[in-house]
Amino acid sequence: MYLILRIIIGSIFLVSSLGKLLAPYQNFLYVIQAYQVLPSWGEVLAAQIFPWIELFVGVFVLLGLWTPWALRGALVLFGFFVVLLGQALLRGLPLESCGCFGEWVHLKPQTTMIMDSVSLVLTFLLLRRLSHTKKFSLDSYFDRV
Amino acid sequence: MKKWQLTVGVVFVLVGFVAGGRILLAPKKTEINFQAARAQGNPAARVKIVEFIDFQCPACAYGMKYLKTFLGEHPNDVYLQVRYYPLTNMHHHAMISALYSECAARQGKFWALEDLMMPQQSQWAQLISPEPVFRAMASQVGMDTAKLNTCLVSDEARKTINDEKSLGVSLGINSTPTYFINGKMVVGAKSLEDVLKTYFPK
Repeated sequence: MYLILRIIIGSIFLVSSLGKLLAPYQNFLYVIQAYQVLPSWGEVLAAQIFPWIELFVGVFVLLGLWTPWALRGALVLFGFFVVLLGQALLRGLPLESCGCFGEWVHLKPQTTMIMDSVSLVLTFLLLRRLSHTKKFSLDSYFDRV
Repeated sequence: MKKWQLTVGVVFVLVGFVAGGRILLAPKKTEINFQAARAQGNPAARVKIVEFIDFQCPACAYGMKYLKTFLGEHPNDVYLQVRYYPLTNMHHHAMISALYSECAARQGKFWALEDLMMPQQSQWAQLISPEPVFRAMASQVGMDTAKLNTCLVSDEARKTINDEKSLGVSLGINSTPTYFINGKMVVGAKSLEDVLKTYFPK
């Protein structure tokens, strides 16, 4: 079960990141601007860097490489998304789609908020049960070697 | 192999994968020919803007309002053309509003109709069918009703819209409004304002 959860969490970030990285960054910049939390230079920086962070977190969680750190990264990211979406919904910002998965998947912000909250809890569970989470991982291979 | 070596290898593979993907999926460099019927401003202007628009998109309505004001302040410095990019999976009236706009363009009434359509977007967007409203607008701007009816049922107008959307997809567009300012892609009205300020610093 922990392996399946790790695959799910890793895949979420992998799909999310590739949808942004394989399209012009201006599309994700537009999404970030809709949340109205960063200055202009911060929005451009976030649009270019953030998808890479998601990619590395996703792949490392999937592979089970540096698993505790990757999961902590995932926890921070999910927490950040929950806060970001929450403030947008509270402020009544006009978000038609959360923009979370680039151009591949369109999800309403409310749906994504629920999904991210559940993912946050699951990631926390994976972190708490590391010995189970690290089964069938590259970390467990290197621990034995 | 040590763990850190594998880590470095994974990072290189990921960077390479993304770089390769970007090269393979890179939008083709396409010269966007200007359609006079949907263009405004000075054709010899130093700033040429092509906007890909969805007429039901609220951000597009805001962007169009901003651009009209901007064009009014810089009539000789900007050339604007509108292209269709209906987000039909999000906006139920995206295609029909584009159809009426294209039919208006074919009668030389594109901007006249757009002057009515965009400011009233929030009203007609909520209707089950906006066609009665669009017909009233068409009448108000003096469109020929018979030609309009023919245009609406013909394949030509729809093909024009779909061809322009396909062009937009090939250019990497996935949301509206997307602008190409002297060939550079800019998405959203905020970025539009930021980029135009660099061309016209106050």
